[in-house]
Amino acid sequence: MSATYIWTVVIGMAVANFAIRFPPIAVLSRVALPDWLRRWLSFIPVSVMATLVIGAVARPDGVWLPPAHNPYLLASLATGVIYWRSRSFVGATIAGVLLFVALRAAVG
Amino acid sequence: MPTTESKQAPCPPRRARFARGLKLGLPILLGYMPVGAAFGIVARDLGFTPLQAVTCSATALAGAGQFIGLALMKSGATALTVLAATSVVNLRYVLFGAAMSPQVSRVPLGGQAILAFTLTDETFAVNIDDNRRGSADAFSMAGVGAVAWVGWVSGTALGALTAGLIGDPSAWGVQFAMPAMFSALLVAQAEDRRHVVIGAVAAALAILLMLTLPADWYVLATPVIAATLAAVVYR
Repeated sequence: MSATYIWTVVIGMAVANFAIRFPPIAVLSRVALPDWLRRWLSFIPVSVMATLVIGAVARPDGVWLPPAHNPYLLASLATGVIYWRSRSFVGATIAGVLLFVALRAAVG
Repeated sequence: MPTTESKQAPCPPRRARFARGLKLGLPILLGYMPVGAAFGIVARDLGFTPLQAVTCSATALAGAGQFIGLALMKSGATALTVLAATSVVNLRYVLFGAAMSPQVSRVPLGGQAILAFTLTDETFAVNIDDNRRGSADAFSMAGVGAVAWVGWVSGTALGALTAGLIGDPSAWGVQFAMPAMFSALLVAQAEDRRHVVIGAVAAALAILLMLTLPADWYVLATPVIAATLAAVVYR
C-alpha cells in the first residue's frame, strides 16, 4: 500500500467529513425553520439511536445472529436497563462491555 | 473567589461551562479510547504508519466511517471509492446538523465550525440530551467535543504505537464499547411515551430495511422514514 494512496484517503476523508457536517449547521441555523420541520427534526435523535443500536447488535460484523445466541443483543438490552436505573453513561458503558465478555463466553 | 454575583449566577463563566462539557463527555472518552486503539492496530496492520493513523483519527473523527475505509482499502478499492463509501455512511450527519441547528443559531460561524468538526453520534446524543434538560450551550458542547476528540486520538495513538504488543483487542470486548454507548444513549433519548414509540418503530423499520436495502442505506433511510411518521402522527 503506497504512502500516496494512504495520504490521499486520509486527507480526502478529513475534507469529506467536514464538508458533510458543517454546511447543514451553518445554513439551517441562519434561517427560520417552519414548525413542521422542527417537529420532524425533534424525532431524528431517537430514530437515529434506535437505528444505530439495531445495526450494531442484530448484524454485528455483517452476520445475522439468532437472538438467544447473540451476546451483542443480550448485552445491549442489559446496558439499556442499567442506564435506565443508574442514569450513568460511564457505569452503563463499562458494565455493558463486561457483560458482553461474559455473555459471549456463555452463549456466543 | 466568591463574589456577590455568584449568588444567583444565571450564566456560569465560559470556563465552567466548558469544564461541565468535559465531564459530560467522559463516558465518550472511555468508549472511544479502546475503539480508537482498535482502529490504530488495524490501520498499522494494513500498512499505515503511526503518523498516518493518528492524522486520520485527528482530522476525520469518523468512527465507523474510518473502519469502513480500512476495510475497503484492504480489498484494493480506489481512493475515490473509499471516500464515496465513507461519505455515504456519514450522510446521517446532515440530519444531525439540521437537528442541532436551532440550538446553535447564536453561535458565530467559527464556533459552529468547531462544533461541526466534533459532531459524532455520541457527542450529538449527549448534547441533545443535555439540551433537553435546558443546560447545553456552545461552551459545554465544545467541552463534550474536546474530550471525545482526545479519547479517539489518544486511543488511536496507543493502538498504533503498541500494535503487535497487546494482542487481539477483541478479547477484551472492545467491539462492544460503541454498541454499549448507543444502547445507553437510546434509553436517554426515550424520555416520553412518543419517543419510546418512535424508537420502537425505528428499531423494527431498521431490521426491515437492513433486509431489503443494499449496503448500509438503512442508516439514512430509517431515521428519515421514522421521523416523518412521527411528525405526521404526532401533530
